[in-house]
Amino acid sequence: MALSSDRPDGIEPYYRLAFVMDGPCIQHFALLLQQGVTISSRIGCSIGTFLREELGATAGTIEKIQSIILDGKPVDDIESAIVKDGSVLALSAAMPGLVGATLRRGGSYSSFRSAITYHETGEKYSSGEGFVCIKLFNLLMAELGPEILQKGVIISSAGLLSFTAEQFPDFWQQCRQITLDNRLINGPELQDNIQPQGNKFIFLSVSSG
Amino acid sequence: MDKILRIDVGAEGGPKATAAPAGTYAGLGGRALTSAIVSGEVPPLCHPLGEENKLVIAPGLLSGTAGAQSGRISVGGKSPLTGGIKEANSGGQPSQVLAKLGYNAIVLEGKPTSDDLYKVFINKDGVKITQDNSLRMLPNYDLIEKMKKEYGDKICCISIGPAGEMKMASATVAFTDMELRPTRHAGRGGLGAVMGSKNIKVIVLDSTGMPVRPPKDPQKFQDANKRFVEGLKKHPVTGQGLPAFGTNVLTNILNEVGGYPTYNFKQGRFDGAAKISGETMAETETKRGGRATHGCHSGCVIQCSGTYNDKDGHFLTKQPEYETVWAHGGNCGISDMDKIAMMDFLDDNYGVDTIELGATIAVAMDAGLAKFGDADAAIQMIHEVGKGTPLGRILGSGAAVTGKVFGVERVPVVKGQAMPAYDPRAVQGIGVTYATSPMGADHTAGYAVAQNVLKVGGDVNALRPEGQVELSRNLQIATAAIDSTGMCLFIAFAVLDQPETFQAFLDMLNAFYGLELTGDGVTELGKKVLTMERDFNARAGFTPQHDRLPSYFKTEKFAPHNVTFDVTDGDLDKVFTW
Repeated sequence: MALSSDRPDGIEPYYRLAFVMDGPCIQHFALLLQQGVTISSRIGCSIGTFLREELGATAGTIEKIQSIILDGKPVDDIESAIVKDGSVLALSAAMPGLVGATLRRGGSYSSFRSAITYHETGEKYSSGEGFVCIKLFNLLMAELGPEILQKGVIISSAGLLSFTAEQFPDFWQQCRQITLDNRLINGPELQDNIQPQGNKFIFLSVSSG
Repeated sequence: MDKILRIDVGAEGGPKATAAPAGTYAGLGGRALTSAIVSGEVPPLCHPLGEENKLVIAPGLLSGTAGAQSGRISVGGKSPLTGGIKEANSGGQPSQVLAKLGYNAIVLEGKPTSDDLYKVFINKDGVKITQDNSLRMLPNYDLIEKMKKEYGDKICCISIGPAGEMKMASATVAFTDMELRPTRHAGRGGLGAVMGSKNIKVIVLDSTGMPVRPPKDPQKFQDANKRFVEGLKKHPVTGQGLPAFGTNVLTNILNEVGGYPTYNFKQGRFDGAAKISGETMAETETKRGGRATHGCHSGCVIQCSGTYNDKDGHFLTKQPEYETVWAHGGNCGISDMDKIAMMDFLDDNYGVDTIELGATIAVAMDAGLAKFGDADAAIQMIHEVGKGTPLGRILGSGAAVTGKVFGVERVPVVKGQAMPAYDPRAVQGIGVTYATSPMGADHTAGYAVAQNVLKVGGDVNALRPEGQVELSRNLQIATAAIDSTGMCLFIAFAVLDQPETFQAFLDMLNAFYGLELTGDGVTELGKKVLTMERDFNARAGFTPQHDRLPSYFKTEKFAPHNVTFDVTDGDLDKVFTW
């Protein structure tokens, strides 16, 4: 599936795949969002800037994002941690338990995980356009997922096929329209047209009709 | 709730029940009561399965009232797994019902004079103990069906499965839920074996005709309870995250930070994590006609449980907890949620601790008994436990014994009890609690009850090196106090962030009992409980050297962060200096 390593290395040929779904669709794409989707976006900015300007997060949403994991490390200060080309950024609402509290940004128990806390090294990073893998967990899937999917994400061919293979029948029933490189297709044709072994990536967009 | 029911299983002519006023134990509940009775009445050097050990079952101080989240129950005794004092905590209906029946505790004591098995029935008219050898080796679900036919569906039950009867060190005491299913367990420490050693298979409770316990000041209690519920509902964890996804919502984030013990604590990330996450599980439950939001006992407003159906839409098990999904899932390299749910059901049915058995199976996999990821082999191992085969007896004795039998060095236990689902190298603070808790490695021993609210021991500078030790101490004190009230530990999240919710909680206690309890009083209660427990363990032969993690946690680097546990022994020894 679309893990952090599944980012395009330079400019690759894309399939352009678009789903138009009947009604709310986020539950169907939850697994994809948890495992991570790559987006083309601005890099070299703070997490705070990234959330506001690239993901369109409001102040209320940012308040709800209590745990932020950048490249596997919990972040305390979203204005100093920098999103870089190839970064993996995972976002979670407040989690239960002592460890849930420990992983909150700037929380009372942050010292419990000081061995893995994110710190900037002072190294200079390039800015401009790049690729960032976004993982959305729990309440944030519904909060941020629809807009990210509507704008479009990049996943591997194998990841897409694995995703579609695991869907329940109601997923296909809710698909109002599927287009692949601007051609109308149906579910089985999608499987036939995408080769899992190929090195093409999929630019996937999802909208609700 | 003013009397203690003692059942002498060694009495002439069979077990005899005697109810007596609580006496010096009056005013205590839950963990405070179980630990007071065990530390005061059980010789610390006794054999856990012998005549001198006692099994204490105690509802919380607010159980049986109209108070929200008040239905947790404590089970105490000398642990067959750790050899130290043990309090294991459970949800389910019996806490509310036992309290309504007026009992502070049930104490099983003495040594049976025969191999006969007994059932105990308690209602408003008293206690009836009956020999019933037809119950022998019945799994919990079959046992409860039989009890339903005999006593009707207004009952609730406290029981043991075959593992308890076989006196296995990972055996649980089961408690039925609101649907009269044996899905809730006092899991840790093997207390089911102590119940088995008393030859009591099941305690059936029926509170028909008994009213809800009345508070001293009904108006103040009602007002405080209302504020308490509002606090729980408005908090993002107790009001949104837990109801929507259950405790298994932790899988993704633990995995992402590299703190998710995988393949018997070898690495901190599991490729299949998203497939067994709380988010995925909730989605599956809903699609199959199960429930992703449900309470484990009446009076629960958090509703972090659920029901997990199989592919055909039939009930398979309750919504497995995070620790269970981890123990049987990532820790064993298994990412098939249906198989993990089946293992949860089998654990409940045979009556074994999901954490201990999951950790044990991972140790067995490390020994080469099966390959990591082989779910069918893991299921077969649980059946071996349930049948009591020679291999099953070894596995049912827990991770430490299994590691010794099969020559495995990497055995993640403290005081003989397997570690739960958070690696102490990535989250070192929890390692301090694993190491020093009187209970053995236990994730609930130092929970997220706010030191910044209670200010146990004053303000803590968490950024100082010794901050982790101070925080662990404070958390353990606060947790011991909460466990004594019978409140669900998950209230801790709302209490952590919302001082007004903590005040509402105190107001409930004060209005119910006519007390003037403050935060300091809660702290003192917690210290008292921990002091009793550590004193018992010291008399049982525990030394500071038992307050340590296995040495490989200090030397084996844990990927992806390549960290080791580096809290010094000297710092660990400071945890209980207050």
